[in-house]
Amino acid sequence: MSVRELSASPNMAAMFARAGAALIPGASRLPFVSGGAREIPDLTLALDDVAIDPDRLARYDRVCGFSLSDSVPATYPHILAFPLHLALMTNGSFPLPPIGLVHIANRITHHRRLRIGERLALRVWATGIEPHPRGRQFSIRTEARVADELVWEEASTNLRRGQGGGGGDAGPRGQHHRETGSLEPVATWALPGDLGRRYGSVSGDLNPIHLHPLGARPFGFRSAIAHGMWTKARCLAALAPGLPERFTLEVEFRKPILLPSTVEFLEAPRDGGIRFAVREAARGTPHLDGDWA
Amino acid sequence: MNSSVRRVAVLGGVRIPFARQNGPYANASNQDMLTATLDALVEKFSLERETLGEVVAGAVLKHSRDFNLTREAVLGTRLDPATPAYDVQQACGTGLEAAILIANKIALHQIDAGIAAGVDTTSDAPIAINEDLRRLLLDLNRSRSNAERLRVITKVRPQQIVPELPRNAEPRTGLSMGEHAAIMARDWGLTREEQDELALSSHRKLAAAYDAGFLDDLVIPFLGLERDQNLRPDTTMEKLAQLKPVFGGEDGTMTAGNSTPLSDGASAVLLASEDWATKRGPPVQAYLTDAQTAAVDHVHRREGLLMAPTYAVPKLLERNQLSLQDFDFYEIHEAFASQVLCTLKAWEDPVYCRERLELEEPLGPIDRDKLNVHGGSLAAGHPFGATGGRIIAGLAKALADDTHGSRRGLISICAAGGLGVTAILEKP
Repeated sequence: MSVRELSASPNMAAMFARAGAALIPGASRLPFVSGGAREIPDLTLALDDVAIDPDRLARYDRVCGFSLSDSVPATYPHILAFPLHLALMTNGSFPLPPIGLVHIANRITHHRRLRIGERLALRVWATGIEPHPRGRQFSIRTEARVADELVWEEASTNLRRGQGGGGGDAGPRGQHHRETGSLEPVATWALPGDLGRRYGSVSGDLNPIHLHPLGARPFGFRSAIAHGMWTKARCLAALAPGLPERFTLEVEFRKPILLPSTVEFLEAPRDGGIRFAVREAARGTPHLDGDWA
Repeated sequence: MNSSVRRVAVLGGVRIPFARQNGPYANASNQDMLTATLDALVEKFSLERETLGEVVAGAVLKHSRDFNLTREAVLGTRLDPATPAYDVQQACGTGLEAAILIANKIALHQIDAGIAAGVDTTSDAPIAINEDLRRLLLDLNRSRSNAERLRVITKVRPQQIVPELPRNAEPRTGLSMGEHAAIMARDWGLTREEQDELALSSHRKLAAAYDAGFLDDLVIPFLGLERDQNLRPDTTMEKLAQLKPVFGGEDGTMTAGNSTPLSDGASAVLLASEDWATKRGPPVQAYLTDAQTAAVDHVHRREGLLMAPTYAVPKLLERNQLSLQDFDFYEIHEAFASQVLCTLKAWEDPVYCRERLELEEPLGPIDRDKLNVHGGSLAAGHPFGATGGRIIAGLAKALADDTHGSRRGLISICAAGGLGVTAILEKP
């Protein structure tokens, strides 16, 4: 496997420009625009000595509903690794252009509490393309280490709708959702229309689909949609007090949350862990199902 | 019902380092700081999933949406959510009053263990809308017709848009606390030098306490800060002498060096019955044996705003058949160096003791070597609600650590509104 060591976090604006370029018909034949290749490249991106900026963490804590503390929420390293995710997907050798990908699942393994002041070494790579009932899926894997200790892992699964899917009749996702019918609502959250812009400015995920109805309409949504990782972080904030240090947090993103929205958070103990879900408050549209274990 | 009164043990406390206004805690809310501090106490005493009798805490500067600040903070910690909580507010006496409330319930067998805490932020301060605008908005809310609404809206004036920041001023006198303290300093004839000396001593003692490791298990780092930001270990009389007076006019004696700065921080203390302590293991550091509050009329009787502790302490001494000299540690909150010095002078003054305190004899001088031995608010800073917990935890540890036969400590805290809160801690 080839490993590319980066000296600094990649420039997000340039990558979003490249990601946007991939939407132009025929542009994927250009060498610096993704969408040209057929297979996921055998490439790992590595970035060492990543600091946790207390001011950015404070803004993240606020927008996601965490209490400000010296501990780093388990969902936070995702936004540190996100520029690497984007760099990987906007690489000319990457087969699927990032804009238009649907984030369908995310699993985080939290080995121990991370604190402000610790420095992370991040490694990011993608797994091979697999068939999915509604298209093709692949996962981006991230590992975070402090010195040589593995402290955090993530598998973030994305779907490319249509285009040669449908072959796998028992896709790993999309067919058998978690049983969440028996969960009880424990909280109602009013999500403002500018939530995508607020989380976008903190996380750096400025995908237009999250920012404004005009950015979301080309992708078939009548208004901006909430970031899946915001929703996951908000769930963790609701669960967080009292959780032990080691856990896995696995969610499946169902229907996008069209902003603004009022949603319900549901939870119940399940097999020694906690099963939880987010649904639209009035109609019960499923947005997210998850397990804390 | 059990009619006996039982002793109340102080098992220990923690606090986060105190930060200066708009420093490293600028983004932290009262709830953030209180939650982090309570959780640090939970960790220190292995209280995870524990249901305690009660958690009592408070903040002086508090937004109305934080009506249940302490309860919300408890829900953010690893304590069992079945732990009840409530808020108190007694200006700078908040933290000590919270401990007295917990202690009284323990003494009366109503609870077995509880946490007293306090927090304040001057950075993330609540901002109120202009009072006239607030009344108009309420009128608007009550309006029934569009014509009525329009009438209300036309009354809004541009100057009403300016919000009201919380002010450190006494509502009935309009003077800031520093201006009140400057009047006290003038009335008692305090010199600039003696105030600066007390400030210097506070910084030196706190720096020595850090160096000796005394604060290692009392202060938990928060948001990158490991020591009190206000601490100046290398300050000197010369540096303090260069500061310009900030209260009492051009020839005033009070400066930023001998007054406490606006600060952010939080503290928490674990109190319990002896039975609970024995069952759970942590050694008893001290007993909170008695407490007394007092108030003075700073508006009409012209008593000094911060002199109430001089009235509370004689009552405490009489009830416990003690003299002022029967203490091994004196923790007198250094709101201003002038407050501490006025208090000590008052207790030595035969006329003040006879006419104001109605004592036959003055309480007399104290051994200054026993005063604020690990530094005070001048060096550490003074997040209003957090000072009581800082002092209780430090004094309890000083009593527990002492090998020279020390037995007793006095706590004296002055507060806005002419209030004073005092207490006695005794060694097991």
